[in-house]
Amino acid sequence: MPLIRGKKGGASGETSDAQQGALDSPDADSRWTAARALTGQAEAVPALALALAREPIPRVREAMMTALIRIGNAASIEVILPYLRSQDAGVRAAAIEALQAIPDAIAPFMTPLLNDGDSDVRLLATELARNMDASEATRLLCELIEREQHPNVCAAAIDVLTEVGTPEALPTLERCAARFASTPFLPFAVSVAMSRISGQES
Amino acid sequence: MADIATPAKAKVLVVDDSSLVRLYYRSALETAGFEVKQAINGIEAMEKVLSESFDLVIVDVNMPRMDGFTFLRSLRSSAADVATLPALMISTESGEQDIAEARVAGANFYLVKPVAEAQLVRHVCVLTGAAL
Amino acid sequence: MDDSKGGSSFAVHISPEQVQRFCEFLYRRTGMSFAESKRYFIDRRLEERITATGSSSFQEYFSLLRTDADQEIEHLINSFTVNETYFYREEHQLRCMTTSLLDPIVRRKQPGATLRIWSIPCSTGEEPYSIALWLMENWPQVDSYNIEIVGSDIDTRALKAATEGIYGDRALMRLSRDIIGRYFGPVAGGNHQIDEGLRNSIEFTRANLIDTKDMAQYRDFDLIFCRNVLIYFDDASRRLAAENLYDCLRPGGYICLGHSESMSRISPLFRVSRFPDAIVYQRPEADHG
Repeated sequence: MPLIRGKKGGASGETSDAQQGALDSPDADSRWTAARALTGQAEAVPALALALAREPIPRVREAMMTALIRIGNAASIEVILPYLRSQDAGVRAAAIEALQAIPDAIAPFMTPLLNDGDSDVRLLATELARNMDASEATRLLCELIEREQHPNVCAAAIDVLTEVGTPEALPTLERCAARFASTPFLPFAVSVAMSRISGQES
Repeated sequence: MADIATPAKAKVLVVDDSSLVRLYYRSALETAGFEVKQAINGIEAMEKVLSESFDLVIVDVNMPRMDGFTFLRSLRSSAADVATLPALMISTESGEQDIAEARVAGANFYLVKPVAEAQLVRHVCVLTGAAL
Repeated sequence: MDDSKGGSSFAVHISPEQVQRFCEFLYRRTGMSFAESKRYFIDRRLEERITATGSSSFQEYFSLLRTDADQEIEHLINSFTVNETYFYREEHQLRCMTTSLLDPIVRRKQPGATLRIWSIPCSTGEEPYSIALWLMENWPQVDSYNIEIVGSDIDTRALKAATEGIYGDRALMRLSRDIIGRYFGPVAGGNHQIDEGLRNSIEFTRANLIDTKDMAQYRDFDLIFCRNVLIYFDDASRRLAAENLYDCLRPGGYICLGHSESMSRISPLFRVSRFPDAIVYQRPEADHG
C-alpha cells in the first residue's frame, strides 16, 4: 500500500466583517462556513438574526443556532426564542434543542416562557426545565401545572417532573389528577410521576 | 400479552420523546397482544425501521433532533419495503391544516393527544388489520 | 448488599421506581436500554456507582449524575460498556467498510485516486492499524487507490505509543496467527511490534474534536471512524463536534460510531444508512430545504 502523508488544509483567516457578509451568500456552503466562523462573537448577533430568519437549509440553520448559543448571551437567546412559535416542527425542534444546550443562560427566561400566552410555547418550554436544578425545576413546573388548562402542557410538565421532581411536587400532582380525572392519559401520567418521585423515600 | 402460544398480533414502533407517553401506549398495546418497540425521536425511529420489520409506526410530532414530519418524509423516501410502512401520527394539534400537512408528509392516520387507550388500540387494530 | 468492603459504606436500598428513573435517564441520554432479564446487571452497576461516588442515597447519586459532577456520566457509561481497545474491535464495521461502503465511494473516483480514512480518537493506534490490515486482507482493490489513513487523538502519550506500534497479546487476541506472523515482529517482553511499513503508512496527529481550528485542517475524508467518544460529550460539545466532523467529510462520505452510540442522541446532520453489517451515517450528497 502506498505510503502517503495527508495534506493539511488551512483555516480561513477572514475577518469577522467578511464572515458576517458571507452570511448573505447565495451559496449554502458559504453561509454555513460563515456561521461556524462567527462562534463566540457577540457583535455578530444581529447579522446572525437576519440570516437565520431567511435561511431555508436546515443544516445551515443548525450552524447559525450553534453560533448563537456559543455566544450564549441574552441577546442571542432572544433571537432563538421566536422560533419556538414556528409553524415548522423542524424549526421548533432546532430551537428547543439549541436552548437545551445552555441551561444556565436560559434560566432567567423560564418564568416568562412558562407563562407565555401560546400553549405550544409553554409546552416546549417545560423541556428546558429538565436540565435545571431539581428544586428550581420542581417549583417552576408546579406553578405551571397549578394554573394550566391545557392537558398536553400539563402532560409535558409531568414528564419532566418524572425525572427531576422532588417530593414537593406531590400535592400539585394530586390536584392535577383530580382536575383532569376524566381526561385520557393524565391520571396515568400523574400516577407514574408520583410513584417515581416518592420512590425516593422508600 | 403475547407469548409463545399466542404470537403477537403485529409489531408496532412507538416514537415519542415522552417516556410517559411511550409507557402508556406500550402498556395498552402489549395488553392488547401487540409487540411494541420504542424510539425517542425520528433518527432513532429510522434506525429501528431500517433494522427490524414493523407493521405500524406511531409517531409524535415534537421531538428533538428529528421531528415527526421530517421522519415521515424520510420514511417515505426510503427503500420500498420500508417506505410503505403504515404510519399513525399523533399530535397536539387539531387544526385542518395540521391534518392536511400530516397526510402530505405521509401519515396514514392522525389522532389528537391526549389519546385514550381504547381509542389507540382500536386504531392500531384497524391499521394493522389485526382482530379487534 | 453486603457492606463488608468498606468501613463506613452502608448498603443503599434502591427501589424499583428509582431504577426506572435511572433507566429512563440513561436511555434518553445515551440510547442504551436493557431488557427486564438484565435487571440484575443494572442494579449491580448502579450500586457500584453509588458506592464509588460516596453517595448516601440513590437520590444523592441521581442529583450528582444529572449535573454530571466529576464526570460521573463518563464513569457510568464506562461501567456499562467494555472499553478495551484491541485489533479488529467491532469487526462488523470493518466488514461493512469493505463489503458496503467503499464501492459507492470509489465508484465516483478514478483509479489511483485518493481514498481518505480517519480514525479519531485513535488512542494507541489499534483502530487505524486495524483499518489498514483489514483493507490489505479483505479489499481486492486495495492497490488500485491511493489510501491515506490518519489516526488522531487528543492524548499525545497515546499517539506516541501508536507510532511505536508495540502491543501485547491481549491487543492481538482477535488476529489470526497468520496475520500476526505476517505483519508483526516480536519485541522485548513478549510483545509484538507492527511492521515498519505499516507504522509509516499511518499519519498520526494530535487533534481535538471540539476545536474547530484544529479540525479545519482535516478535509475531504471519505470515511471517519469516530467511536466511543461523542457519547461522553455534553449537548453543546456534541453539536460542535458533529458540525466539525461534517466539514471533515466529503459529501456522501460516511461516519461510523461506537456500537452503543447513535446519532439520535448526537446530531441531525447525518443520514441514517443501514447496511447488512452495520448502521452507519452519511453526510448527505446535497442539501434539501
